[in-house]
This record gives sequence, C-alpha cells and structure tokens, in this order.
Amino acid sequence: MEAKLNLKKMEKSLIKFIIAVVVIIVIIAVAILASKSGGKNSLNVSDLQPTISAPQAALSDGAVDISKQLDGHHLVAANENYELYLYEPALSIIVKNIKTGAVMESTVRNEERLGNVNETWKGFLQSGIVVELQEETNTMQKKLGLEGSGAQVNVELIPGGFHAKIAYPTQELGFEAEVKLYDDGSITAWIPEGSIYENADNKKIGNIYVFPLLGSSRLDEKDGYMFVPDGNGALIYLDDKDGRFDSGYVQKVYGSDIGVGESYVLSLLWGSYETHNDAEMILAPVYGMVHTGDKMGYLAIIESGDEEASIYATPNGAYSDYNWITAAFRKCTTYIQPTSNSGGSVTKVTDRIKYDINIRYMFVDDANANYAGLAKRYRDYLIEKDELVKAEDIFKIRLDFLGMDVENWMLWKKDAPVTTIDNIREIYSDLEKEGVTDILSIYKGWQKGGIFDLPVTSYDVASSVGGARDLSKLMAECEAKNIDFYLFTDGVRANTETSNTTFDTVKKMDKRLYTQNTYQNVYRKFVYWTPQKTLENLKTLQKNFTKKGVNKLALSKIGNTMFTYSMGDTMQTRLVSKYLYEQALKETSASIDLMLEAPVQCYWQYAKAIVDMPISDSDYIYTDQSVPFLSIALKGILPMYGDYVNFEANEREYFLKLVETGIYPSFYLTYENPSELIYTNSSDVYTSQYSVYREQIMSYYDELKQINERTKDSMIANHEITDTGVTIVTYDNGVKLYINYSAKELKADNVTVPALSYVVGG
Amino acid sequence: MRNKAKLVVLVGLCLSLILGSTAIAETPYRTYTVDGYGYVLETQSAYNPASAITKVGDTSFVTPMDMAIGKDGNLYIADAGAHMIMVSTIDGDAVRMIGEGTLQSPTGVFVSDDNKVYVADKDAKKVFVYDLEGKLLNEYGKPESPIYGNNMDFKPIKVVANSTGTMYVICEGNMNGIVQISPVDGGSFLGYFGTNYTSLSPFQILQRLILTDAQRAQMLSNIPSTPTNLHIDEDGLIYTVTQGDKDMALKKLNIAGKNLLDSDPYWADLPAAVTTGQYRNMLVADSDGYIYEYNEEGELLFMFGGRDDGRQRIGLCNKVEAIAVDYFDRIYLLDSDKKQVHIFIPTEFTNLLHEALYLFSKGRYTESKEPLEKVLQMNSMFDYANQAMGHAYLQEENYVEALKYFRLAKSAQGYSDAFWEVRNIWIRNYLVMAVAVIIAFAVALNLYKKRQRVKYGEDGAPTYFSQRIPLLGNLKYSLYFMRHPFDGCYGVKREGRASLSCANTLLAAYIFISIIEKYFSGFLVKNVREGRYDILSDIGTVLVIFIGLTLCNYLVVTINEGEAFLKQLYCAYAYCLTPFIIIKPFVVILSNVLTYNEVFLISFANIIVLVWMVVLLLISVKEMNNFTVKETAKALALTAFTVLILSLLICIIYVLFSQVIDFISSVLREVVYRIGS
Repeated sequence: MEAKLNLKKMEKSLIKFIIAVVVIIVIIAVAILASKSGGKNSLNVSDLQPTISAPQAALSDGAVDISKQLDGHHLVAANENYELYLYEPALSIIVKNIKTGAVMESTVRNEERLGNVNETWKGFLQSGIVVELQEETNTMQKKLGLEGSGAQVNVELIPGGFHAKIAYPTQELGFEAEVKLYDDGSITAWIPEGSIYENADNKKIGNIYVFPLLGSSRLDEKDGYMFVPDGNGALIYLDDKDGRFDSGYVQKVYGSDIGVGESYVLSLLWGSYETHNDAEMILAPVYGMVHTGDKMGYLAIIESGDEEASIYATPNGAYSDYNWITAAFRKCTTYIQPTSNSGGSVTKVTDRIKYDINIRYMFVDDANANYAGLAKRYRDYLIEKDELVKAEDIFKIRLDFLGMDVENWMLWKKDAPVTTIDNIREIYSDLEKEGVTDILSIYKGWQKGGIFDLPVTSYDVASSVGGARDLSKLMAECEAKNIDFYLFTDGVRANTETSNTTFDTVKKMDKRLYTQNTYQNVYRKFVYWTPQKTLENLKTLQKNFTKKGVNKLALSKIGNTMFTYSMGDTMQTRLVSKYLYEQALKETSASIDLMLEAPVQCYWQYAKAIVDMPISDSDYIYTDQSVPFLSIALKGILPMYGDYVNFEANEREYFLKLVETGIYPSFYLTYENPSELIYTNSSDVYTSQYSVYREQIMSYYDELKQINERTKDSMIANHEITDTGVTIVTYDNGVKLYINYSAKELKADNVTVPALSYVVGG
Repeated sequence: MRNKAKLVVLVGLCLSLILGSTAIAETPYRTYTVDGYGYVLETQSAYNPASAITKVGDTSFVTPMDMAIGKDGNLYIADAGAHMIMVSTIDGDAVRMIGEGTLQSPTGVFVSDDNKVYVADKDAKKVFVYDLEGKLLNEYGKPESPIYGNNMDFKPIKVVANSTGTMYVICEGNMNGIVQISPVDGGSFLGYFGTNYTSLSPFQILQRLILTDAQRAQMLSNIPSTPTNLHIDEDGLIYTVTQGDKDMALKKLNIAGKNLLDSDPYWADLPAAVTTGQYRNMLVADSDGYIYEYNEEGELLFMFGGRDDGRQRIGLCNKVEAIAVDYFDRIYLLDSDKKQVHIFIPTEFTNLLHEALYLFSKGRYTESKEPLEKVLQMNSMFDYANQAMGHAYLQEENYVEALKYFRLAKSAQGYSDAFWEVRNIWIRNYLVMAVAVIIAFAVALNLYKKRQRVKYGEDGAPTYFSQRIPLLGNLKYSLYFMRHPFDGCYGVKREGRASLSCANTLLAAYIFISIIEKYFSGFLVKNVREGRYDILSDIGTVLVIFIGLTLCNYLVVTINEGEAFLKQLYCAYAYCLTPFIIIKPFVVILSNVLTYNEVFLISFANIIVLVWMVVLLLISVKEMNNFTVKETAKALALTAFTVLILSLLICIIYVLFSQVIDFISSVLREVVYRIGS
C-alpha cells in the first residue's frame, strides 16, 4: 500500500517536472521566435533603392570644343548660358556664365594664394573630391586630396559632362563620379554606391566631400555671402573676418544622430538641469554661395545622401584664407562600445552606409543672384518635383490647448486637467463674439493618462477633460464652424512607465537602449520606438481614428527625427528611419489630415501645414544675418505656424518677425492657471492661461489677418534689407511689406515706416 | 525716481530692439529661477545674447583678464598678455590704449566715478592710476607699514576704489584679506579687510584630536582662500567672491567689513566675478559661463548661460574672468579662453522685474504691483514676484489675497503674518458664535452623559463591543497602558491583555497618523512640498525601523535572560506608540490654525509626545523582561550596538550584491560585444 502511494507521489512529481520542462521550452521557443520576428522586421539597406530624380531640364549634351581652355581647365560641356570646364588630375571644375563672364572655381590652383596651410589642407583646397579615410578605429579621419595623395583619376568625357574613375591604390579603395551640365544651368555630381570599393580590411571611406571649394573666395576678394540652412536660413558674409574664428558652421542635415553618440559636452547645472537649448535644425538639404558683385550664385540641393550629409560653411581665417561651403557625406563612422560598467570600452567602426551621393548645383544670375533668388529657385524645384503641392493658404491663428498631464499622488498618478473640452468650447465662443473665427487648434494631452502617456494608438479620451463623446461632439462643432481641430500625439517616443517598452525600442549602435532624460518629476525618461513599431502604432491609430470619424492628427517628433540604430545584428541607418517614417506618413495622410511639427523637406508633401516653423537662425557667432529662406520658398504654398508666442520674452519684435516671414502666430493655452502643472512633466509650461492672452490673441488676429488678406495666395517675390535698415518683402501680386525693427522712424521707397512697426504698401 | 526706472526700462527695451534682429533667435541657453522651496524652474529668457566683441579695433585680445565699464559707456579691458588696458566702445571700436610700455601684466582694472582708471599689475607689483586719457596720475607699490608684513609680497590682481580714493586690492598669495590702501602720503596701508575664515569639518576636528603634531604638520594646512574677485557699488559696499569657499562664496561687506548676507546665496563652485546693477541687484558670473542674478537680499532671480558646447553660439562661454553691467542693464561677460566679450540685453520680462525690484526695494509696495502683475502674467510661477505681491497686499490690508500670494511663494513668515490678520478678523467676527457653539456642545454632552447615567447607573453604558470583540478591549487597554505602564506591562505579560491584531492595529494607526501629520499639517509647520506624496517609503521607513528595533532588542534581551517573548515585546512596544496616536491628531488640527507666534505650542506638544513614548519604552523594556535598571541600560546599549552591526551587515551585503550585479552585466556586455563583432 505504502509503496503504491510512494509510486503515485513519484508519478505526480514526475508529471510536474515534465510540465515544468515543457513550459520552459515553450517560453524559450516563444522568445526565440519573438527575436526572430524582430529580425524579420529589420530592413536591409538593399531594400531601399536610392532614388535619383530625373533631370528637370534637358542635358546639355551638344558637342563642344574640348580644346577651349580656361585657367588650365578645358571645356567639357556647354549650353546657352553656362560652360563647364575641367582640370582632370584634380577633378577641378570651373563654371562660367557666358553672358557676364563670371566664373566659379572649385579648387585653388594658384599655389601662392594658398597662404600658410599644411599639406592636408593644401590637398583639400586643391581637389574637386576629397575623401576622409577611416583607418582602423582611429577617431580622427585623415583627409585625402587627389593630387599628391597617390590617387589615380581616369576621366572619360560623356555627353553633357564627364565620368571619372577615382582610385586610391595605397588605400585599396575607390569609386566613380559623374558630373553633368543641364540646360537650366544646373550641374549634378553623382557618386553611385555601386562604384565604391574598399578592399583593405582596415581602410574605409569615412566621409566624401564633393567640390568643397566650389564658388569659394579668398578673404574679402568677392562680395557676397554663403547661405546656410540653419533654422529658417542664415548668411555668412564673404568679408575679411580678421582671423576671428577658428572653426565654422558644421551641422548634420536633419539634425544630430542619437544612435551614434556624437560627442559634445552636455552642460548640466548642478548635475540635474539641462541648460542648453538645442540649435535650430537643418530642415532642407540645401546650401548656397552667392557672389553678389559678379551676380552669380548657386543653390546646392542634396538629392541623394541627404540623410547622411553634414553641411560645412567655413569663413576665412578658420583653417585657411578661403571662404567655402560644402556638404560632406558620411560613409562610415566610429562609435564607442562599452564593455564594462566602470568605463571600459572599445572603439568600433560601422559598416559602410550604402547610398548614392547626388548633389544638384543650380546656378542663378542677374536679379536672382541673391538669397531670395535661391529660395525661389528652391521653390520651383520642389513644385516641379511634386515634393510640394500648393495647398490652400488661409490665414488662421493657431491656438493649441493642453488638456491634461498627470502628477504623482499617493501611490498613483493623478490627473491635472487644465483645459477641458467644455473650456475649449467656451474659449471658442468667447473669441467668436470678438470676431476671431479663423482658428486652427491642436489639442495636446487629450488622451487617457495625459500628454505623456505614449504611444497613443486608440481614441481613448481622458474622462477628466470630458470623455470621448464630448470630444467627438466638439470636433463636429469645429467642423461646422470651420475651425481646424487637430488631436496631438508624439509619434516617436515611448513612455517606459505607461507602456511595455521591453521590445521594439531603439537601441543605439552600441546596442544600448537609447533613453531621453526629461529632468522632470513624474516621468524621468523616455525611449524611442523603432520606426517599424511607429509605423505599426500609426496604422492602429489610423484605424481607430477612422472608426470614430476623427480625421485630423498633429504629429510631433516624427517629422524631424532620424537616427542610426541597431536591430539584432544589423545596423539600421538614418535612411531606414526616414524610409519607414515616410511610409507611415504616406499611409496615414491617405485618410487623415496631418499636421507636422517642424518637418524636414522630404515630409512636406504629406502635411497640410507645418507647425513650429523656425522663425530665425541659431545665432552662431560666425553667421552675419538671419534670412527667411524657407519662408520665401514656402509662403503661399504651405501654411506655416510659428513657435508659441507665450514664451517669447520680446513680443513686439517677434510680432514683426511674423509679419516679415508670413508665418502665422501660435499660442499655447490652458484654461486654468498653469501653476496647476507645476508637479507634472509639463512644469515647463509656466505661462499659458487663456484669460491672460485673450487680448493679445485678438490684436494679433486682427492685425495679421489684415496683412494676410492683401498677400493671400501669393508668393514672396523678393526680400531685401535696404541701406536704411528697412526690411522690404515683395509679394508677386505687387504688395510690399515694409518692416522697421529699429527704435526710430525710417524711410524706404518714399514710404515712412514708424519705429518698431510695419507698413503695407504696393 | 520711479520715472527714472521707467525711463531706463523703456530705453533698455528700445536698445534691445536696435541692437539686433538676431536677438529674436532662441537663446542657446535656458533661464531658470528658484521657487520658494528652492526648486529650480524654467522661465522666460532674462537676457538675450546680442553680440560678441572679438577685437578692439584691429587688435585681438591676448589674455584678457578683467573688464570695467566707465561712466563714458566704454569698456576698459585689462589684457595681461598685451600688457595694456584696451578701451573699446560697445561695438568693438577702439577708443584708445592705456598703459602701453608701463604695464607689465595688468590683471585688474577699475574705473571710478571720478573718472580714474585703477590698474592692478601683478608683475609690476603696483597699482597704477590713470585718467581717462591714459595719463599716469599715480602709482602705489608695496605698503611700507610693518603691519602689512615685511616678508609678504605685493602682487595686486584685482582692485577697486571708493569715492574717497581708498583702494581695495586683492593680492595674489596674500591670505590675510583685501589690502586697503589710502591714497594719502603716496599710499598708506590702512589694514586688511574682509578676511575670509576657515571652518573645520567634524572630520577635521577629529583628525586634529587624534593625530600627532608631526602627522598634523604633514597635512595640508587649512588656510583661508584669497577672494577671487571684488566689486564696489555706489554706496561703497564691497562685494567679494571666493573660489573654494563653500560656506560663504559671495559676500556683501559694509565699510566695517561685516557681511550683510545671512547665508550664502551662491550655490555653485567656481565664482569668477561679481557686480551690481542699478537696482542693487547682484550679478555673479561663474567661471563656467553661468550668470546668477540676485536681489539685494541675495534671493536668486535668474540663472542662465553655460559652457560653450563647441558650437560657437553667442552667449555661451568657456572661461569667464569678468562681468560688468552698464546703465541700460546690458551684461558684458569677458571670456579669456575664447578671447571674446559677450553682450546680453535684458528682455521685456527682465525690464518689468527690474522696475518692480526697484520699487519694492524702496518699500513702495503698492506701486510695484503693476509691473509685478505683468511679470506674473508672463510667468505665474515666478515666486519672487508672488512674494512681492504678498507684501504689497499685506500693505494694503488685503490679507486674504496676501495669504494666497504668500502661500504661492511658500513664504512662511509672510504667510504667518497674513494668517494672523485673517484669523484675527475671523475671531472678531465669529468669536461669540464659536464660544456659544462650544458651550452648547458641552451642555449637550453633559446632558447626554447624565441621561446615560440615569439609564444604566454609575458604571455608565455597558461595554458591549469591548466585551464581544477582544480587539476593541485590547485597544482600550492601550489607553490604560499609556497611563499605567508598570501595571500595563504586567497585563501584557501575565494577563494576555494584548494581541497581535491589536498591536498591528496600533502600528497601522501610527503610520496613518504620521502620514496625516506629514501631509496635512498647517503650512507653517509642514516640512514637505505641497502636493508631493511618497506614501510607500513613509510606510516602509516606519515598518523597517519598528520591526528592526524590536527584533534587535529581542535578540539582545533573550541572551540577557530577559523574560519576554517576541510577541509580547512587539505588543508592548506597539502600545508605547499610543501617546502619539492620541495626541498627534490634535496637534495636526492645531497646526492649521496657528501662526509663528504660537508655533511653540506645537513644538511643546511634540516634545511631550516624544518624552512620553521614550519613558513608556524604557519601562516596557525593564518590566517586560523583569530587568533591573542596570540590566535595562545594558540591554539598550547592546540593542544599539546590534542595530549598528545589523546595518553594517546590510551595507556589506548590498555592496557585495551590487558587485555581483556589476560583474554579471559586464559579462553580458562582453557577450554582446563578442557576438556583435
């Protein structure tokens, strides 16, 4: 009997053991499958076919007299207006405007003019294409010019230009480049990915500079400026800088790359307060050089490789006597792989980032040889390429509302509602009484859990602001009143406390989770969803929104975030994140009106409007003037809304900037006093109460609406600052805006502009 | 004067607009202020970077070390490397150079109200005095007075002078203080001024007690730091900043050398320079590029700026040497590493605040309300403005509003004053009614009691519940325990007058009431930030301490032949908490209606509770274990020792454990690295 019992017990424990083993196996299998499926989601670079746009104008492929010489260069292509010359050993080109005889050179051929530079910089200044060599894991890359570095250049003339095979035998690497001239006065330089070879294990191409010195000038020999796309746009004059600067402007196109830790000193006050504001981003992959004296200039548009490009604008005195502006294309980079907690690490080099390089230099002359001309050229280009479709341009004032955020309370989180749906209704009807009717609103923090409960994938409205039914009702009312009412969410970030972020979050190249510190009290850090997951989230959101009849969505972050990350063992480049985000936006915009926060150029076509448009530049010490380049290009085509007026410390000047740039005003409003937000993550919203801003909203609305009635649906034709200091913006319907930022009355065109004011003329 | 302030504000505003349309760009730094709790908050930009001077005329800076602004509005920059004083307009145009050929290493410059330029030259070991045109008027070498010290070198690095021409000189390597030199008789030494003192940390005191003389001689000597920089204002007050003086880095000294600031308002490590604005506001520049602005009492208004992150944006500095403020409130910051002078212009926001600051400092509270309201409209969380509004309303006898603003500003003293008034009014209005209500209540209670007595006789109402439910009986016993601890202990030990459930209930009640006390005490006695809750750790702390102590104590008494069981000890100690549970609720209620004048009542009640609890505890230890007094003392000492050992043990385990975690994560990282490559 006892033995039987024992046997039964043994059986039982055996069964238990088997079950446990099976469970463990299943768990492991699921985990493996999950990781595999994660791997499946990762994109191979070869999936992304680089798109080289078809030339807009005909190739200037007529026969030319190749014996025609200019400064040691010979002619390779020509059209009615421009001639392209080449000096083969250095791949140096000269572009000559036939009418005026003005030229732009791409290298410094005269040794004497080089001044006191070292061999490296000499090679740089004298080569049409420069490679930065990544040796082993050195963090400093070596510049290789063409002449003197042992490079072999084989040039073959082709219709409209030339094709060059460049080989560096010592370094066992090389590539091919093709340069062509088109009838519209543009020149393209193309370095196809397929032509690149790197045969040595320890020597790779780090960066490639294409025609770094094109249009360069020595000290103050030429009048003019370099145009950098910093924020809305900025100029660096070609004057003698007297050696004041030892470096120039360097920024990554579309912002920095969080996945490959770019080293800069993060300055924290007392170890916990971030004290720096980020500089403005490059939203458009363009730069330019204008010789105003010679009435010649070009706008360079990076057509391919923009994701990995950086723009360098270097004034004289930094490195050499020359002013030069160029784009450098990153082909690989180093990163630090930590191996222990106590600071142990090794430096690693990424694989080659695969993409074609293609730059289009669009030359301008005469009246167009200025920044306004470049901006117009850019606008025409975008329209021609269907990157920009003219949208309806009606003046609206943007009034964003913060619904609610959460604060810590006892063991839980407590809602801190500051603007309920009823409050919004009340604000609208109050404004309507005063005649403010053209309104666009973005409602932030409407979702359950507050503004930082991310991701938002369903129409789950917080009950503390009024609930889903009431919000739908409000949206219907807005539709009837012609108010654009957008719901807001962050497309990229994930909150580790409100959602499961174990999978599908971005790991940097060193395979560490990327975290963004908020330096706030409730949620201390955020992580990023992988673009794959973002795409999925947006699809779900789109489905749920469509089900509930919601068709307006404002997305932040997604329009201006691009990063390298790792997925399993594969490197996902910035091209991947751009491609996936573009897919997400394309699919979402099919059924939902999208509003994007400061998006980069490639996403403009999916947006009904742009919000948080930079109104100025980042105020670098070496930039001389801020110009509204993007405004000139986009005004009248795509509505632009600025940053919030609330947080501006100098209001009048900001208002005049709005007049000048044609950007519409934005306010960030709450119904309650923002002191209610002090314990939330939104504690940086220190001023937003509607009752405080009521009068200002009305006056902004009235004044700006009047101006925009005059300029409605027309584009900016010219922008200039007169010698007297008046800024004149001319629209193509003839309306002229005179803006005076100074404290005294000024005159221009016989128009008297009062101090700190503007006049609409024409 | 008010008009002057307004005019200045207006001119400042206009200038800010003239000086650059670039100023509209987002500043490269954030601006912070501090609320009443000392909590750091972001605010509107206080000053916007406008431009940078990189050269004076065609001359570049070599080693710029100091800067002053003359009444003529020009900048006087002492360049030690170029051996001269460069005089520049604010646009960077050269006016003249001073002291070429004479100066060897000018590191300090000061321009007095009577237009004299004082230069401290370290290598020439002299203070030179020039007129504005650059003519040498005087020079002062090492003081001959024996008090100065014959062996003491004279290496002036910074200098200021008051209206009578008395110079205050900081000398390199001279720890005695600021050297005060009178201009009479070619420079007579008046004595040392504003000497810094050293302080000893408890550890250092201990060290000195233990170490031998020889060992002490080997230690770094604890000598006071020389002030790093100084400034003199219109009234002759001297401001000094001292690097390395953690306790009093910023000082505001009167003519007698007494520091007028109660505590050190400066919290960072590397003060480089100090100056004052026209509203008695103090500005301190940090070597790292941060600028701190304080009001005259040393309350922080703004901090902004920061180190250059290598991106060359205007407004960020690498190594600040000097700060100056001009008549239009523009700030100039001299950076010796970038060799630039950065200029900042006040924004509208700051101009309003400065106007309020001025009026407020003059005691014109009511007038200051207008700009303050605008400031609060722009930033309602600016506590300095809230506090000033509170004062303004207090002056206007609008106490309710004052109370509101003081509470917003977390100003305890202001709140107390306003609350006193509010309460006074309430008492005047409702005292009669309140007394009537209390009397009526007392009468009603009395009547009720009488009736009960009639109904049930002298013993009062039957104790149904406490008889039926033992827990209630036990809880009731705690009241008895509190008053008769000796008998109480006997009851717990011998009569089973305690149960675990009862002890748990008491402990829970204790935790509950301590939480109530922490979060719902009156504003004046509350130690936590309003709206901040951390209940979990509150509960955890009490539990860990109580259970840990009980356990340690039990371990000790068992080996010392104590009689009590663990359960009994636990129950007895829980009963010891009763005074807290009974008295604290009244204290909490009371704290909500008291001002600072009566706040001693609270402290008094707290002391009673504490003493009562300690006495109960001592008696419990003694009686529960049947110890003598001596044994009790021994047991307590041993318990303390056990606690020490236990915490040490926990520390060691924690350290070992984190080592293991670190090891595992290192291995994982290594694996990631190997697999990845």
